[in-house]
Amino acid sequence: MNSDIEDLLREGMERFTGDVRAPAGMLRRASRRRHRQLALRSVAGVTAALAVGAVALVTVVLPGAGDSGVALAVVKRVDRALGAAEPGDIAQMTVTIRSAASPGGKTVTTTAEDWSYGERWRSVTYSTDGHPAYDEGVSATSVYTLVSYPAQVWTRHSGLGRPLGLESPNRKLGVEPFRHPVVGAGGVAPKASAGPVDIPRGCEPVGAALLLLFQPGLPGIGFSASSPPATAPRALRTAVSCGVLTVAGRQRVDGVQAIELTSRRSDLISETIWVSPGTYLPLRVVVGSVPGEQAFRLTADITWLAVNPRDLAKLAVPIPAGFRRVTLPEALGLTLLQKSPGQKPKTICIVSGGSGRQCVSSKPDGS
Amino acid sequence: MAADRNAAELERFFAERADHLLRTAVLLTGSREAGEDLLQTALERLLRRWRRFDGDPESYLRRTLCNLAIDGYRRAGRWRQREGLLRAGARLTQDAIGEVDLRDAVVRLMLQLPARQRAVLVLRYWDQLTDAETAAVLGCPEGTVKSAGSRGLTRLRELADGWNETTAMCGRNGKRP
Repeated sequence: MNSDIEDLLREGMERFTGDVRAPAGMLRRASRRRHRQLALRSVAGVTAALAVGAVALVTVVLPGAGDSGVALAVVKRVDRALGAAEPGDIAQMTVTIRSAASPGGKTVTTTAEDWSYGERWRSVTYSTDGHPAYDEGVSATSVYTLVSYPAQVWTRHSGLGRPLGLESPNRKLGVEPFRHPVVGAGGVAPKASAGPVDIPRGCEPVGAALLLLFQPGLPGIGFSASSPPATAPRALRTAVSCGVLTVAGRQRVDGVQAIELTSRRSDLISETIWVSPGTYLPLRVVVGSVPGEQAFRLTADITWLAVNPRDLAKLAVPIPAGFRRVTLPEALGLTLLQKSPGQKPKTICIVSGGSGRQCVSSKPDGS
Repeated sequence: MAADRNAAELERFFAERADHLLRTAVLLTGSREAGEDLLQTALERLLRRWRRFDGDPESYLRRTLCNLAIDGYRRAGRWRQREGLLRAGARLTQDAIGEVDLRDAVVRLMLQLPARQRAVLVLRYWDQLTDAETAAVLGCPEGTVKSAGSRGLTRLRELADGWNETTAMCGRNGKRP
């Protein structure tokens, strides 16, 4: 009887699923869902960072536009304006983030200052009491410098290329590996950051502009690292053509009657970008949560500085006297420990556009 | 560290094995919709580690499907399982030949078994794994697989015996003459 029932079971399974075929695009849908999760976790990473005093940094954001001819006209003008500006003015931003540490929890407000010029950038994040917490940047020769004020250490590392994020194989970092395509120089997504399935850049409905333009920072602090002004419009072109951003109207920002671009209501992250009608350079960016998600609101006010020695000097990361120089993994480990006590990663992998991934194991003493 | 694996490799694999994997997922959950959800979730987990994934993706997906199903995948969506059972029942009454009905009834009962017993039967009789391979997928001792499979088959045998008695009494179509 046993063999009979086994045969019946086999035949029954065959019959029960005989007409089952995997629908087309299943892998792509899974990939998109995965990217949405990453987007939300990145946001969660920001809020988690805020909760422990670290700060998320934000950089240059450039305008997209809505659909139809208006959108195309906007993009063309953005391209022309920014292309003409290249290597461009220096983008100086003041970023304010308001975030609840947990649902219904106390709201934390932090600020950061950011400068971006070509491939060079610098970000200074401030603790809630207004003192510098982290100062990091990349020089013209692709040397990355990080100063951690809480730990009173600094590090310098060359050859990484543009750092895109951190990974830990034991997956205990506060911030997930960030594999969404990120726009690098020339608008090309570095291979190291590309997702396992090539998603059309900019068409991702969840936080498209956020993901495309706000590159993740090295120490898992959150969003950091500037997008060169001239490359972002290329990335936004797809987003605009996909209708991810739409022209919502005009609004006065810092005395300018700016064009307001907004994300779709169905997205899980709300994005609004105000651009100058003359140059289409962004003047203000607001990224926020939508109802039902953990509350946060990020505002970046952007000023475009002329290129002169005084303002270029703002891109350099100064090393405070008395701070100890450590290795990059040690600095990152200390940063992560500041951010997420108890989540000591055994191994830290630095993902960058230049050299792919470099992994370093922490020392047993926790460094 | 394993070499990075590219997207094309995953796409090729999935193009070849997607149907079979979905059928496995449907058998584990009881309905096509829940099966697609289950497989999609398993795929997301594979995608998460794909670049550095060093192993057989089919084994990984099969294991993930079973673990998700056993862990009470989407408990809030159990209505879907019931929906699947209802569909199976509807199909049962439409069949004209008792022998075919019995096959459906056996699967329908299998879907009502505890998740682990069901997973064992799916792995053993659908995926044609040995007891040892099934134990490896489920992460349990081989003895547990044998006992779970035995209990599951016993239940199915009881159904088959009862079914045979009913059809003998009521006729091949399961209707009273």
